[in-house]
Amino acid sequence: MSSQKKLVVAHAPYWHDGSKISTKNYHIMIAALPAVLMGISQYGAPALAVIAFAMACAMIWEVIWNLILGKSASIGDGSAAVTGMLLGMLMPATAPWWLIVLGTFIAIIVGKQIFGGIGFNPLNPPLLALAMLVISFTGIFDFNESLRHYDLGFVMTYPLADLKAFGPDAIGKFGLGDLFMGRQAGAIGSTFGLGLIVGGLYLMLRGYMRWEVSLSFLAGVFITALLFNLSDPAKYASPVFHVLTGYTLIAAFFLVPEDSSSPANFIPMLIFGAMAGLMTVLVRNIGAYVDGVPFSILLMNLANPLLDKIRPKAIGKVVENA
Amino acid sequence: MTSKGEQAFAFALAAILLVVGVVCYAGFSQETPEEPVRLMFKSTAGKILFDHKTHTDDAGYGIGCDDCHHEEQDESMSCSGEDCHGPDSEPKRGDALHTNCKGCHEESGAGPVECAACHVM
Repeated sequence: MSSQKKLVVAHAPYWHDGSKISTKNYHIMIAALPAVLMGISQYGAPALAVIAFAMACAMIWEVIWNLILGKSASIGDGSAAVTGMLLGMLMPATAPWWLIVLGTFIAIIVGKQIFGGIGFNPLNPPLLALAMLVISFTGIFDFNESLRHYDLGFVMTYPLADLKAFGPDAIGKFGLGDLFMGRQAGAIGSTFGLGLIVGGLYLMLRGYMRWEVSLSFLAGVFITALLFNLSDPAKYASPVFHVLTGYTLIAAFFLVPEDSSSPANFIPMLIFGAMAGLMTVLVRNIGAYVDGVPFSILLMNLANPLLDKIRPKAIGKVVENA
Repeated sequence: MTSKGEQAFAFALAAILLVVGVVCYAGFSQETPEEPVRLMFKSTAGKILFDHKTHTDDAGYGIGCDDCHHEEQDESMSCSGEDCHGPDSEPKRGDALHTNCKGCHEESGAGPVECAACHVM
């Protein structure tokens, strides 16, 4: 038997390294700021209203739930604020106030608290809320309709809606540079590609986010879209277009890698991300919805416990006749 | 468990964001421009997004108001009003819009004329 030490376990007392859930959540908010600020700079006070009100409502719902259950307030961990911020980023700037109240209720209470709160949610809370709202209020999430009064100096039709309705011929008017720099119509915090990538890289480098899930999701989107594109370029858009439009980048860096609803082991993380990416493009290219992000990730969230059964071999061996 | 300082910070943050959100919703709600930028027509054959600004702007197609609006309309008037292009009037709203849009597109040899090039189900 090799004498090489593979695992050293010391006995208690242990030393806390100072990391906290709240620190992580506030870092996620900081990382999301560039994309949020771009949205606010484009759409002005209405966008600020949506983001601020969504964060406040999410925290208030959590406090109400704590009060109902007679528990101490848990908003200090920043989780509710992150959920509210991400949900706000997924909304159009014209989202009415009651939609925010309803959406944050779904995210915080239905998506998280009824399962036991932070760490117990099987589904991604902002995406669960988004999916339910998109199905219930199609007009508000039709960005062509909801943003019809805005003229921001660039092509103001929603790229994925143009692709779905009129095919790749209709998306030649969108420059990839414009899409990358947030010069596209869409949800408040989902259009600024550069800002989302910078925020995502920051979270990866600081160790607040699992790069395996994030990058495999992007690879899943890219490779699936590439295969479609190669099969019929006249019918399917390029992979870069799919990466830079819709909810792809915010999902890759802020939604897919959510701790509780994504796997913890290496191989499952890769499968989870890649499958979510694959289904996103399947919905976009052959499904009924313009963007498949919320539905594909929620579906993979359901498969998460099963995927995490793929575990690394335990260290050590069974000694027979011991 | 979170510390008292973190709780206090979160409550303060929630209060500030609530005030900002309510003030922005109440005081700075999005205004409908006097002249429409884009219009979303809804019909049984799907939605049609019409870029009003590009059609009317001098830098766009430069079409005059009365090329489409055959009489002076004020804000309260609807094209599909009972006296104009309502369900019992002739031509109906859909027919009038088709004549306007498709007619002009065909006449000038520019713009879509196929159903699916405008109608989105």
